[in-house]
Order: sequence, then structure tokens, then C-alpha cells
Amino acid sequence: MNRVGAVIMQQMLRQRMQPRQLQRCLEQVSPVEQPHLSTFTQLRCTSASAANNKQVTPPRHDWNRAVSEAERIVGYPTSFLSLRWLLSDEIANVALHLRKLVGSAHPLMKTAKHLLYNGKNTMQAWGLIVLLVSKAAGHAPSIPDVEQDKSAGVLHSQRALAEVTEMIRISHLVHNSVVNLQSGTEAGQDTTTYDDMSFGNKIGLLTGDYLLGHSSAELANLRNQEVSELISSAVRDFSESEFIGERDEQNNPLPFKPGTFQRPSLTVGVDFNEHDVMTPMPIGQVMGNPEQEWECRNILNAGSLLGKSCQASLKLAGQSEQMQRHAYRFGKHLALAWQACLDAESFQSPTLPPDATFSLVSAPVLFHLEHDPSLYKLIEPGKKSVDLVDYNQIHKEILAGPALAKTKELQRKHTEAALGVLQHFPATDARQALENIILAMQDL
Amino acid sequence: MACLSTSGRVACGSRSHKLICRLFLNHSPHSRQSSSQLLTGDTTAGHPREYRATPNQQLARSFHGLTLGINQDYLNLLQTSHSCSQPPNLRSHSSVHTQQPAGPVREIQIDPYIILDDELKYFYDDVRDLLQSGTSQPELDTIACYYFDGQGKALRPMVTMLMAKALNYHLNNESHQLVHKQRQIALFSEMVHSASLVHDDVIDQSDFRRGKPSVNALWNHKKVTMAGDYILSIASIMISRLRSDDVTIVLSQILTDLVQGEFMQLGSRETENERFAHYLTKTYRKTASLIANALKATAVIAQADDNVAEVAFQYGRNIGLAFQLVDDMLDFVSSTEQMGKPTAADLKLGLATAPVLFACEKYPELNPMVMRRFSEPGDVERAFELVHKSHGLEQTRFLAKKHCNEAIRLAQELTESPYQKGLQVVADLVINRMK
Repeated sequence: MNRVGAVIMQQMLRQRMQPRQLQRCLEQVSPVEQPHLSTFTQLRCTSASAANNKQVTPPRHDWNRAVSEAERIVGYPTSFLSLRWLLSDEIANVALHLRKLVGSAHPLMKTAKHLLYNGKNTMQAWGLIVLLVSKAAGHAPSIPDVEQDKSAGVLHSQRALAEVTEMIRISHLVHNSVVNLQSGTEAGQDTTTYDDMSFGNKIGLLTGDYLLGHSSAELANLRNQEVSELISSAVRDFSESEFIGERDEQNNPLPFKPGTFQRPSLTVGVDFNEHDVMTPMPIGQVMGNPEQEWECRNILNAGSLLGKSCQASLKLAGQSEQMQRHAYRFGKHLALAWQACLDAESFQSPTLPPDATFSLVSAPVLFHLEHDPSLYKLIEPGKKSVDLVDYNQIHKEILAGPALAKTKELQRKHTEAALGVLQHFPATDARQALENIILAMQDL
Repeated sequence: MACLSTSGRVACGSRSHKLICRLFLNHSPHSRQSSSQLLTGDTTAGHPREYRATPNQQLARSFHGLTLGINQDYLNLLQTSHSCSQPPNLRSHSSVHTQQPAGPVREIQIDPYIILDDELKYFYDDVRDLLQSGTSQPELDTIACYYFDGQGKALRPMVTMLMAKALNYHLNNESHQLVHKQRQIALFSEMVHSASLVHDDVIDQSDFRRGKPSVNALWNHKKVTMAGDYILSIASIMISRLRSDDVTIVLSQILTDLVQGEFMQLGSRETENERFAHYLTKTYRKTASLIANALKATAVIAQADDNVAEVAFQYGRNIGLAFQLVDDMLDFVSSTEQMGKPTAADLKLGLATAPVLFACEKYPELNPMVMRRFSEPGDVERAFELVHKSHGLEQTRFLAKKHCNEAIRLAQELTESPYQKGLQVVADLVINRMK
């Protein structure tokens, strides 16, 4: 689950680096809020145990407990830190080069930290969800015994697919950390940081490519071309998602100016063409409708991979087309519910914590722009850089309007849809674990 | 699978070494035998040992230590076609500038691009259509299609289609449907190549490629990165649609090799011998693997047996290595206008390619520069000068020539046909190209 953890562990193994050294190395990234890293086991600890040490959480629908119980059901974390990963030369290389970046301001370090210290703020558990859905659905009786991981109740191929899902997702996050160094931009003109940024870009690009290359090899070895096709299309969706709408210099998304779309756009949701994975999401049809536009953006950069992975996993198990559709919809709605939950989080407190920001295409912003188009004048300074926006002011205005309530409603809608789809799966401990995760998320 | 390609890599170090030995010692073991030895050899044990005797070492030793007669042969071979009234320094330039066919002139000169006109005419249009059909975002489409402007050499698709058709002839089995599938593999090869160029542009930050502004000069680097991923994903979807498990496996090897090659380029090796082996492996992974595996995939689609598939693979590997060796050599001799990119670009990027590694033999002062990746002021200029003073360029060309000859020999194992002849012409084109 925690690949960068694996990377650093491996580096420690290779260089016999003392844990204390490593801790120092990581403290340079950010001196605050580092969990104490004194042993390997603690380094590997999941969000669950790390958070359990810190805080006492209400017993009902506890997120961390829901996740750690789910992990036990499919025997998840240990197998993911496979030896293959720890012993691969390229990963050792990446770790070495990453070290040179420690202390620089390259966003790759932030991404690495994000992956390493996963709090409840990240949806770390994508591979886990794929495995739970696999186990909940079961597999066709024709699948031979040797292809099954009896103890976990999933197929070996499904476990490999879950790994691919995480690799692709991390590859996208890492590629998204690339800094735009075009000559006209601020980052491109800052000579003091240029070399660091350029080097960071190189490492980020190659690391992402490495993950994509390995995903493609792993997929090929599954010997199922429909699965390869489907997952490749999820990679396509990720790249498409970074092109939608207006962007600042660093490609951070900005909302459309209210009134950009004159014709009434579709109010019913759109989705992929079930029969042809090449067809892109028809996002043009829903532009300007805040809920539908938000949904499309987030299907492309989250729901697509989770949904298509769940669908592909059932394909591997020889499940019916209909069950595959259910799996896709479950993954999609879960990802959207999760995103709505994240979007709402920034608006839970009456004032924005210092230095905190939020996405300018998050659901509350889009809903508020529909409610009061004059908010756009606060967003306009962000065209050069989203950092130039007065987040406190936007935060204040949004809290005064109906957008947060609408976002909560949006989350509830997708949560219910995900729970509803789950009813098509037989009642098992895996299904129960999925329900617990969803309910815990609702309570976050 | 993995075993096959690994043995290919082992052969990459060792075969050229054997070939060079053969030339110098005037001894010609039956080449089939040598290749089969290599392929059946124990790869795990053979790998490091084979690499120790590098072509670099072997060539230099022969060059300086053996009798005059052999040296003379070597020089004659390098200078088949130019006047020799020039001072030695200039000679090294002109010998690589030749446009005369280096090998024996073939009875009918076949132009591979002409005999493949049907397959290549709308090649770039098809790639652009495919890329366009996968997205609703015009900017993504524009960046992704930017290098499919028809200005490239289209070497990879051309060789892929030649091999495909030569194999179909060899197997006496050609159909529209088959050629169509093989053409998809050709599309894949060019798309993967372009995706790697797009990502390279972000990494290297160069401003020009193929005589026009490179993608990173024109668009947001984050979008350029995504466009590279996009091209790969569309290429993968297309290959999955061939519904052949084995083809997908063979082609996925290309992607892992490419990235591993890039990672190898980040590091350098301490000792000279390791350095040359490192360079050759890197070259295989970055360039040759793409051609070798694409050609092998066309054989798999044509249901060729393992031996024939191996001929296709080895032909592609040799052509790929020769192509890159010539490329590395041209980086020192071509003008900016010819290449469409600045010269000595590799040195400026800190990379020590074959000409430099060969030159290290004669001018050991290059070693520390290689180690520091030509980072100090004046390093690039000094290294450039020393490479020209040494025989590094001829030696590189010579090694490339050996790979081309091996490719020609492999092509001759297939049934004679215009396409099979075309494969041999390609070898001449690769060694004699000017850009």
C-alpha cells in the first residue's frame, strides 16, 4: 500500500542507513508532524495504527478500523510490499535521486510525503477496494484452483490487478508533480530553483514512466486483452482530466467564467460508452452544470480508474457483464462520494486554517458560483497562479451560501448509490467491510 | 519471454566482440553456430562474464597490438570510398560523411519506402485519426499529434512493415487481415517512440527537435507529460484490440526496457570496461528493444515459429544498435541544420556515447570528464576536440557496420523477396545516413 515507504526502506537496507538518519532526512522535508520513525515496523505502519496511537475515535464507523479490518479480510498490506519491489534496481535509483531533492521545494517531495504519511485525507485504499469487490463478487466455478489465493479468497490475477491499480494511480500523482518550467512562467524564470525543479521533473517523469511501464507488463501477463484495454483507457482518462477547462500557469484547474455556456447543458449525468472504451467522456455536454461538470471532472481523475479496475477484476473472475457493470458503478460512486467528502472537508471549520487552500473546482466552489456568479471576481486573480487567490474570502462567502449543504447532499447521493449497487453482491464479510468503509467515510 | 530477451542482451555485448575478433583474426566461425551458442548459453552465469571482454577493449587491443596487415585491413574497410589525399585529422570527418553504399552494391536498388507505399502513405494520417478519436480535448489532441507531422524518418514503421511482409512471404501466408494487424504494430512502434520523445523533451529541456520548436517550448510541461501518457494509453488500447496475449507481452517489454534505459542514462560506471557494457545495454534498451520487439511481434502475429521470430528479433536488435551508434556518431559530425537539433547534444547532456568511450583509449584524460559528466567549463569543447583527434568516430562507425552486416546476414535467412531485399537495403541506409 505504501510504496514510497518501500522505497525508503529499501534505501535503508542498501545503504545500511540508520533509521535516525532517515528520520533526519525526512524532517528536512517538513519539520512538523512527523511520526516517530525508529523501527522498520513503524515505518511500515498503516494509517490505521498511526492514527490509533494518536487519537481516541468514536467507536461507531471508525474509518481507520474499517480499513484495517478490511485489510485483514483480503490479506492485503504484506503482499504489496513484495520483494520484487524492494529489490528492483530502478526503485533503488529513484530513492537515491529523491534524496538529492530533499530540502528542495519540488512538489514531488510533497507527493512522496503525501504517499508516505497517508492520513485520512488520501484515498490510499484503492487496491484494497478492488480486492474487496473481487472477494465480494467471488469467481466463476470454472477457474482452476492454482489460480486462486485460497486464504484471501481472491485470484492471483486480481491481486496483480489491484497492484496495477495503485501503480497507475501513483504514476499519475507523480506525473502531476511535474513543474511547468516554460520560459514565460514564474517557475521557469526563477534561476535560484531552476536546477532543482528541472532535476525533480526528470525524476518524477521517469518514476511515473517506470510505474506505467511496469503496469503495462503486469497487465500483459494477465493474458486478458479486454482487461488491458479497459485499464489502458483509465490511463487515457487520467491524462484527459488535466486538460479540462481553464488552467493557471502550473496547470491547476480553474472554474469556467459563469455564463460561458449559453445553451442549457444536460442535467442528467453522462458516463462512458459501455461498448467502446476508445470513446472519451462526452464532457462537453454537461459543461456549465455544476454538479454534472464536477462529476465528469472527478470521474476522469478518480472514478474511472477505480470503477474500471473493479470491473476488470470481475472480468478476470469470469463474472457476468451485468456484475461487471455493477462493479464499475460501485467503484465510480465510491470515488465520487470520497471526493465530495474531501471537497467538503475544507469548509467544515468556520475559518480556513492558515496556509490551507482548496481546489477552485471543488464542489462547494462550483455550487457557489452557480448561486452567486459574482464570486468569480475573487477567482480571476488565480489565472496566473491559484496561489494569488484570497482563499479566506472565498471560504467566507461559500460558508454564507448553500454550497456546503449541496456538497453534503452530493456526497450522500453517491454514498447511497454505492451502497445500493452493493446490494447486487452476495452478503459476505467482504461486502460488510465495504459497507463499513463507506459508512465510516460518511461520518468523517 | 524474459529469457529470450535477456539472451538478446547478453549477445549484444558479446556478439559484437566476437564479430570484431573474427574480423581481426581473419577467422570466420560459422555465425549461426555462434549465435545459437549465445542464445542457449547460461544467461545468468554468462551475463557478467561476457561483458567483461568488451568490444572497446578488444578493438583497441587489436588495433594497437596486432600486426600491421590487420591494421591496414581495418583502415581500408573504413575508407572504402573516399580520396586519401587529406590530412589524417580531416580524414576522420570525411570517412563518416560518405554517401556511397558501404556494402556490396545490390543488383537492383530497392527503395523500401517505395515498395511500402501502400502501407506508409497514410501512416501518419492514421496515427492522427486514432489519437483524435480518443479524446474530446482539442489541446491534448494537438500536443499528442505534434510529432506525427510526417517529417520524421518513419524508420521504425518502415522496418516493421518490411519485416512483416518479408515474413509473410517467407511463411507463404499473407492476407489483408494479417497485414492490417502487423501495420497496427508499426503504428504502435512509432507511437511509443513519439511518446518517449515527448517525455524526453520535458527531461532534456531542449528547444528544438526535427527542425521545429520542441513540445516543451510550446506547451505547459505538465500537459506535455500527460500527452505522453495519453499517446501510450491509446497505443496500448490499440494493441489490446489485436486480442493476442503474446503480442501484448512482447510489446510491453518495450516499455519496461525504455524506462530502464533512461534510468541507466542517469548513472555512470566507474571502470572503462563496465562503462562500455553499460553503454551498449543502455543503447539496446533505449533504442534497439523497440525495433527488435516490434519486429518479433509481427512474427508472432504471422504465427512464425520461434526460430523465425528470433531472426526477426535479432535483425531488429542489430539494426537498432547500428542506428543508435550512427546517431551517436552523427552527433559529433553533423551540422545543426542537418540533424534539426544542436550538435554535441549528448556531451552537453553529460552523456558519454561510443565515440567518447572509444576515444578514452587514446586520451585517458577523457576519463575524469566522463565521470563528472562534462560538467566543468570547457569540458564539452575539449572532449569534442579529442574525439575528433582520436579514431573514436571510425571505431563507432565500424561497430555499427558490424551490426549492419549481421542484420544483412539474418535477413538472408529469409526467403528471397523484394521485402527481404529491402531489409538488406535498410542496413545500408542506416550506416550511410546523413541525418
